[in-house]
Amino acid sequence: MTQKIVVVEDDQPILDLMELLLKNQGYEPVLMPNGLDALDYVRKNPPALILLDIMMNPISGWEFLERLRSEYGMHEIPVILFTASPEVTEKMAGINDPHLGVLYKPVSLLELKTALAKYLG
Amino acid sequence: MERYITVRNYRISHTDIVRFWIIVSLALCCILITALSLEENAGTLSTQLFYFPILYATYFYPRRGVFVAAVCAVVYEVLVYVHYFPDAFQLGAATGQAVLFVCVAAVVGYFTEKIRISETRYRSIFEYSLLGIILFDKNSFGITLTNQQVEQILGYTADELKKIPFSALFCNPDEQHRFFGELGSSVDIRNFETCFLTKAREPCWVNLSWTRIDGNSVSCSLLDISTRKHALQVADDSSTQYQQLTESSPTAIVIVENGVIMFMNPAFVRFLGYANADLLGKDLGIVIPPDDKERFLAFSKRWGTPVPAADRSEFRFLSKSGEIKSGMLYFTPITRKKNPAGLINIVDNTDWERLKESVLLGNERRRGMISTVAHELRTPLQPIMGYLNLLLQDQKAFGVTEETRQILERCVTSVDRERQIIDQMLELSVLDSGETELEYSVFRVADVIRTVIADGGYAGKAEINLTIPPDLTFESDKTKISFVIDIMLANGITSSKAPKKIWITYRGAESHPFHRLAIQDNGLGITEAKLDEIFEPHPPEESKLPGQRNGGPGKSLSLAKKYIQMHGGYISVDSIVNIGSTFTLHIPKKRPDGVKPS
Repeated sequence: MTQKIVVVEDDQPILDLMELLLKNQGYEPVLMPNGLDALDYVRKNPPALILLDIMMNPISGWEFLERLRSEYGMHEIPVILFTASPEVTEKMAGINDPHLGVLYKPVSLLELKTALAKYLG
Repeated sequence: MERYITVRNYRISHTDIVRFWIIVSLALCCILITALSLEENAGTLSTQLFYFPILYATYFYPRRGVFVAAVCAVVYEVLVYVHYFPDAFQLGAATGQAVLFVCVAAVVGYFTEKIRISETRYRSIFEYSLLGIILFDKNSFGITLTNQQVEQILGYTADELKKIPFSALFCNPDEQHRFFGELGSSVDIRNFETCFLTKAREPCWVNLSWTRIDGNSVSCSLLDISTRKHALQVADDSSTQYQQLTESSPTAIVIVENGVIMFMNPAFVRFLGYANADLLGKDLGIVIPPDDKERFLAFSKRWGTPVPAADRSEFRFLSKSGEIKSGMLYFTPITRKKNPAGLINIVDNTDWERLKESVLLGNERRRGMISTVAHELRTPLQPIMGYLNLLLQDQKAFGVTEETRQILERCVTSVDRERQIIDQMLELSVLDSGETELEYSVFRVADVIRTVIADGGYAGKAEINLTIPPDLTFESDKTKISFVIDIMLANGITSSKAPKKIWITYRGAESHPFHRLAIQDNGLGITEAKLDEIFEPHPPEESKLPGQRNGGPGKSLSLAKKYIQMHGGYISVDSIVNIGSTFTLHIPKKRPDGVKPS
């Protein structure tokens, strides 16, 4: 069975790309252009992994992560922050979450593959 | 000067030894004379001789004299016993005599000691008194006796004083006449304040009290009151002096009594723009804006304590024109016209505060801008990179020819390079702003290197040989050290020739203050001329390592150098052209002093 990966990202070109890349790698991508819809979806259909953009509206990636982790059964879903902001490193240092990773945009196919392999076991 | 010898922790003076031998000799003589006179039946008159050693010993050593008496008594008793036994009368008389020895010694010793103690007591009172004491003759004013304190106050020695008449000590004839008047009043005088002249011809204020001891002798005590006189004089002058001193001071100065402004200098007038008439006699609190008022009240409360201490605090002030100024307020307790008051200095730091605020705001804006720029620059690169990767990965499906592949690969390299440039630009700008701090922790270096190799996928690109003690730990910033190792590995691998090989070796000796981690490649090497330039933020094109040139990811060695320098270490390079290069990281084993554990 193919593993489901939710991509939360408000930039359409990147969503299109991720769809193609993930399909190409044999995963089942679910594209979510905003955090609130994504939370709804994830609650009902827990995915194998979430790729999460940070700078988004109406809720940011951090808020999405906080709400997700506060819900029952959601604290072990691997989340890879997918970001272009340099402040993420500082914030990450304060979070102790073994199921949280980060990839800095632009990310190469090899880096993506390595990260997915690491968090999907 | 007494000389001593030491016997088993006892210090015995030479005088004591001489006295001991005298006592022993006298005692032996007495025993000999007594023995001979008994032998010759010359009667017991010689017995009285025993009083010589006994009284001699008792006079100098009141308590031990009794022991000497006891010894003499026993010896005498033995001699008589041997000679007259069994004559009961003679034996009884001798025993009485022996007891008398001891009794006489005890009585004499008791009184001697008593006299000596009281004498010592009076002498020490006289010698060590904090008052100067002078004994002088009422008629001739010749000084007969003085103590040390007098010598200290007046600077004369005791012998010099004995040559000067007491009346000559006064500083001028007026004082002398005043003294004669008092002395003639036939009453004992207390607290007569006058002025003496010291040996150095300097005036010295003293307080005299005197009593007639006998017909002509007068005992006079003398207390040095110069300091008190001086202090009183200064206190009276202080207010005037403060005003003169503060007049031209660039610091704003006010004098307050019970919080009310009694004086303000021209600098204070300039600082807040109020005229003297606006504020004199008013509470200083009226120039403090409402926000700071509570704090100011708490601060000024401390001025009213019985002994206020010097104090300082930063406040904002309201100028006459309504402008908010800020200043550091220093409070110093003073005496003004014999009343407790406060001298307040205000250092105007309005400009400094404004500058600080604008710098902080600037830094915040700068961070925000950097973040936005990074986001805007990186995001559009993502689709380009992603699609390029996809085309290259699945060349057949997308119909990519060999020629197109080469073009696409160059595109990938360019995008990658663009990304590196953005990263470095950001990192360097943050480093330059001085906002980056090291977060120290203790970690196993072998684990960190393995993680870097795994995350960067380096194992697939070159053969990496790791020679690191598995339990070796570093105390440094783990993230930054990982980053540096990543940079070193990436550069090493790009520089290497096929078959690519990298050696990572730990070379720190236990006694050496630095960890030394060497990363060696089998690459093209670097010529000596270019060794310094490779660490520049933007090295000249010809000095770049293969990894830094077009066509490679090129991670910044200048960043690596900065990170290691932040730890107090350095990077050294050994290189042989066409054989390879060794980059050695020298990282201090101990964190520098003053860095707190994270």
